[in-house]
Amino acid sequence: MSGIARKVTRYFASFMLIAVINFTLPRLMPGDPIKNLIGEDVYISEKMMEELRLELGLNMPLSEQFASYLSDLLHLDLGHSYHLHAPVAEILLNKMEWTLLFVGISVVIGSLLGGFLGALAGWKPKKKVSRLTSFAFVVISCIPPYFLALLTLYLFAFKLGLFPSKGFYDTPEIGSVLHHLFLPTCVMSVFSASRNFLVMRGSVIQEKEQLYALYARAKGLHDTGILFRHIIKNASLPIITLLALDFGFLFSGALFIEIVFSLNGMGLLIYDAIMGKDYPLLQGAFLVIAFTALLANMLADLLYALIDPRVRRPA
Amino acid sequence: MSQSACIEGSCMKEACVEENSEKRQEKPGFKLFGEVSFRSFRKHESSLALFNWISILLFTFFLFMAFFPSSLAPYAPEERFIPYEAPSGRHLLGTNDIGNDILSELVFGARISITVGFAAALISTLIGTVLGLCAGYFRGVLDELLMGFTDVVLVIPKIPLIIVLGAFLRPSIWILILVLGLLSWESTARVTRSKALQLREAGYVKSAQCMGFSPYHIMTSDIFPNIIHVLLPKFMLAIASAMISEASLSFLGLGDISLKSWGIMLSFAFFRGGFIRDMWWWYMPPGICITFCVLSIALVGFGLEAKEKEYSEEGANIS
Amino acid sequence: MKQRKYFTGLELKAGLKRQMALAMLILTLCSNILPAGAAGPEDSENNDSENNLTLSKEGFFDRLITYIKGLYLGEEGETQDSGVISEAAAADVQQSADSEGAVLKIATPSAIKSASFIGDSNLGVFTHLSNPPLMKMDAEGHLVGQLAESYNVSENNTCWTFYLKDDLYWSDGEKVSPEDIEFSIRYYGKETPWASWINDTLESSTVSDADNSVTFKFNKPYTRVNMEFATYNLLPAHVWETIENPLEYISNGPYVGCGPYYLKLIDLNAGKLIFEKNPYWKGKAPVSGTVEIHFYSNVDVATLALKNGDVDTYYKYAGSYPYSGIEQLEKTGDFDFLEKTDIGLVFLALNLKKAPFSDPEFREALAYAINYKELVRLETLGYGEVPNRGFVPSAMENFKETEKLEYSPEKAKENLEKAGYSDSNGNGILEGKDGKDIKLEILIRSEYARTGELLDEYFEQIGLSSELKTADADTWITLKDSYDYDLTVIRSTPWGMLMHASWGSGYFDSRRTGQGVMHNVEDPEFLQLCDDILATTDPAELHDYAYELQDYYAENLPAVPLYWSKSVTPFNRHFEGWYSDPLYGIYNLDTFVNVREVEA
Repeated sequence: MSGIARKVTRYFASFMLIAVINFTLPRLMPGDPIKNLIGEDVYISEKMMEELRLELGLNMPLSEQFASYLSDLLHLDLGHSYHLHAPVAEILLNKMEWTLLFVGISVVIGSLLGGFLGALAGWKPKKKVSRLTSFAFVVISCIPPYFLALLTLYLFAFKLGLFPSKGFYDTPEIGSVLHHLFLPTCVMSVFSASRNFLVMRGSVIQEKEQLYALYARAKGLHDTGILFRHIIKNASLPIITLLALDFGFLFSGALFIEIVFSLNGMGLLIYDAIMGKDYPLLQGAFLVIAFTALLANMLADLLYALIDPRVRRPA
Repeated sequence: MSQSACIEGSCMKEACVEENSEKRQEKPGFKLFGEVSFRSFRKHESSLALFNWISILLFTFFLFMAFFPSSLAPYAPEERFIPYEAPSGRHLLGTNDIGNDILSELVFGARISITVGFAAALISTLIGTVLGLCAGYFRGVLDELLMGFTDVVLVIPKIPLIIVLGAFLRPSIWILILVLGLLSWESTARVTRSKALQLREAGYVKSAQCMGFSPYHIMTSDIFPNIIHVLLPKFMLAIASAMISEASLSFLGLGDISLKSWGIMLSFAFFRGGFIRDMWWWYMPPGICITFCVLSIALVGFGLEAKEKEYSEEGANIS
Repeated sequence: MKQRKYFTGLELKAGLKRQMALAMLILTLCSNILPAGAAGPEDSENNDSENNLTLSKEGFFDRLITYIKGLYLGEEGETQDSGVISEAAAADVQQSADSEGAVLKIATPSAIKSASFIGDSNLGVFTHLSNPPLMKMDAEGHLVGQLAESYNVSENNTCWTFYLKDDLYWSDGEKVSPEDIEFSIRYYGKETPWASWINDTLESSTVSDADNSVTFKFNKPYTRVNMEFATYNLLPAHVWETIENPLEYISNGPYVGCGPYYLKLIDLNAGKLIFEKNPYWKGKAPVSGTVEIHFYSNVDVATLALKNGDVDTYYKYAGSYPYSGIEQLEKTGDFDFLEKTDIGLVFLALNLKKAPFSDPEFREALAYAINYKELVRLETLGYGEVPNRGFVPSAMENFKETEKLEYSPEKAKENLEKAGYSDSNGNGILEGKDGKDIKLEILIRSEYARTGELLDEYFEQIGLSSELKTADADTWITLKDSYDYDLTVIRSTPWGMLMHASWGSGYFDSRRTGQGVMHNVEDPEFLQLCDDILATTDPAELHDYAYELQDYYAENLPAVPLYWSKSVTPFNRHFEGWYSDPLYGIYNLDTFVNVREVEA
């Protein structure tokens, strides 16, 4: 009981710390949210700016602002965005749909693909094919992600004209959505797959040397049998942790992919909020991301303990 | 930014395993399997050695480019000629939008990119080691605190932090290095912690404690030297990951524009019409250089990791 | 034998389990997509979407497998793939094409962030089409009436009367009345921060149905009301008077408008705005049935869309089509370019509070040190010219031909010597009057990186040590407002040039603060000039004052203009009838009612 309680308190403490950082970080940034609200070409008097500040609650001393921030949190009220003229929770929910779709699919495809190929490569690491694939994936994980995205865009959307170059869809139908999302999802899955591939491969190589593998072979079980019935379960533990982490960061979107493919997702939303000093949106978004990341971390820990009984034994 | 962690991902598996050190002790010492495949092992080793040698060679080449750029670059990188020129005899990679020779810029950029990677990795490894050692050695409340702190740092986003620091201090390359270093020590800390957890049970550590040496002394002279061979590969991988992060941040315009790293070159190529004018000689070379440099570093890191595994396999039973 | 059977049996089982898991996953995902697709804006193609759904469910499965195959087999896998996808897409396009007439598509990099008609500033520019303001600027830069037939102003400049045109109707059939004008102006004054001056200074407003006019009485004289009213979009009173908080009002359309088109749909996920023909528009009928504005978050993609014919032209408020892409479009031979000299420009602002920049001789020397021809060549790729000392570009009303700026490092060095800046300790760097080496810090935002680099080089050449400091937009504003800089590169927008006392004075008058302005000139001569301009609407007087202002700029160089640039708009040769005004470029009503497709 103490183990789990300790973990939970630890995560809770982390979350509290994150809430504090969340509050201070946007406010430390230079720039006046009011000025950003108004725009470059407009001139408003100081008095007007003071009134705006009053309305938005920016003229209260920091401690009061913090207190109101905490009380809002407890009411699950994420605040109201100055720039996007809507409650933060609503904005986040709207953008989340599409972001979750394409990032979620990429993560799932990436881990399945990477895991599958990694297991195969780890099982027979010295075969030419395995070596080639390993090398290919290592190279891919070394490419700066936006570079690959740009190259893919230029090659497939422009030179070959196979795919459209922007947006989640042209008309909100499945066919259009799939057509538009194919390239970004591919690029993201490839990166995700390369990472999972390397982890799985290493893991399988390590598992291969265990006693039970030898025993299964002695029993007469064929290669694929040993691999997919026994080893994969043990070897996929690190993948699960990684997957959990990935899902945790799902909400942060994929900034570079969104910039390159002109997608209207969470990544760009957060980036604009940073550049525009939209405090409530920034706070809301970071809080959600931090919360899900911590939750995912905790789940991964618990899952790991659940699946691997050796971990549950006292130290 | 999760993509930048993909390099370290391969070691994260180890971290997960390490965190639950009980699993490690289960490793049997059966040699039968190994002996049977001895011949294949030899073959494996030789081609692996070749791989290692190529990556080391590549890495040395890039280091050479960083230390002695003037021997490889035909012109000074600030010299200006006719802009937007295609590759020719005089300019092997053509010129960019204000007339700098791209090849020279490329060669001098190595120094900056590698320095950023190296410095950031140094900071992150240092912090990670210190925190991991303390957490692993002292255990208890300190351990929980530090691990909780680690979780928090995992979530802090890089971009706003760079903007904040850039506003307070001079926006420059050092801000970049600082932020990259301060936010990526997590996996190093985890690994050091688990190793320290293992090692503190060793006989010689216990006897040192009996003799009354201070914890600081024990950590530096007994535990630390045994951790170095784990740290080295993590250090290399940290360099690789920092270089990719630097390239990404430069693309967003958050890097130091006066120091032309490869990432900044790519950013200019993109924003000043290099892609749209099909100037592949402008945008491909920096991207390829980043990829190969990171690749060579990562491969060296993997090579060191493999070596480390050998050590721990052959090494005496720790308990 | 036995082994093989065992093996295949096993593999099949494992494989089947895998397939089933995959299928479950995909089914759950697809069932999530369905509500997402249905929850999108009201598009009445339900039958088709159902068909597409069944088609794609299979497609997804096959795609996954072909993707894996593709990984190992290479190229062939992918091309097979895209066949399936493009079939589905082609079917889509077919259906949509049949239902509409000619469509005019415009690409823009200024994406709108929220579907708030009043609140989103980028949207405010595009809604000129559906809700035109009272006044507009014609191609030569003169303010003329758009929805207003004419206007007049009282002697003391406090009373403005606007006469509304007779043939304007809202897209829901109602007639546009002067009440709408009164309502809109008051509404903006009350609800939006940028029009709050209206709230502060409007004393009374009266509507006269007899001569279709509305009169605004201000509590102090205003000479620029006609210009201000060229930027406020007209709102239908009967729709908006029930809306409590307009800045927060979010809707994807349709919105009621009185222009030749009305805003039908805001689709943020597809990145476009759709305007449909206003059935009640009585003016000259536009040819295209629909106008679509497409948002691209990076400019290269917009260029490629132009090349592919996905869009017909490019528009950016207060910006030009990036010069680097012009060559590409020229090569295709499908494009013509509209070139207009911008009334905004890029200039080097100096911190006049700090020595040595407070010394006019020093500023002269700096002005001689800059190689303007090279800047024009590298920054505008030839679509610009070397500016005059008078700052104001030739496209502005009352332009005076002052002396052109000259590049002469020798003269620069001479001037510095004469002014008392010399290098006494022989380190190659000149010292200031305080004996210390002059170190210039050029503050720039990242978009002016190259200009900053070039300036750095030029200043080093005349013996001043200089370095670049980059800051993001907000840090830049903070530093500028606290006068914590030496030099900075900044751009003025067309509207910015017209602000305050016009001719760029809005940027320098130290009594005005704001985001993009320098507010660094405190010279009483300059301030008096600004006040004089603001006090009169007499064109002859304004002409004289304008000349005086430009002479002031030429003599004192409070800022050094770096280059004048042309605003270039590419348009597909298949269209003609484009009009461009200095304020909004091609995005004005004249363009939309006149542009038509011609047989190439």
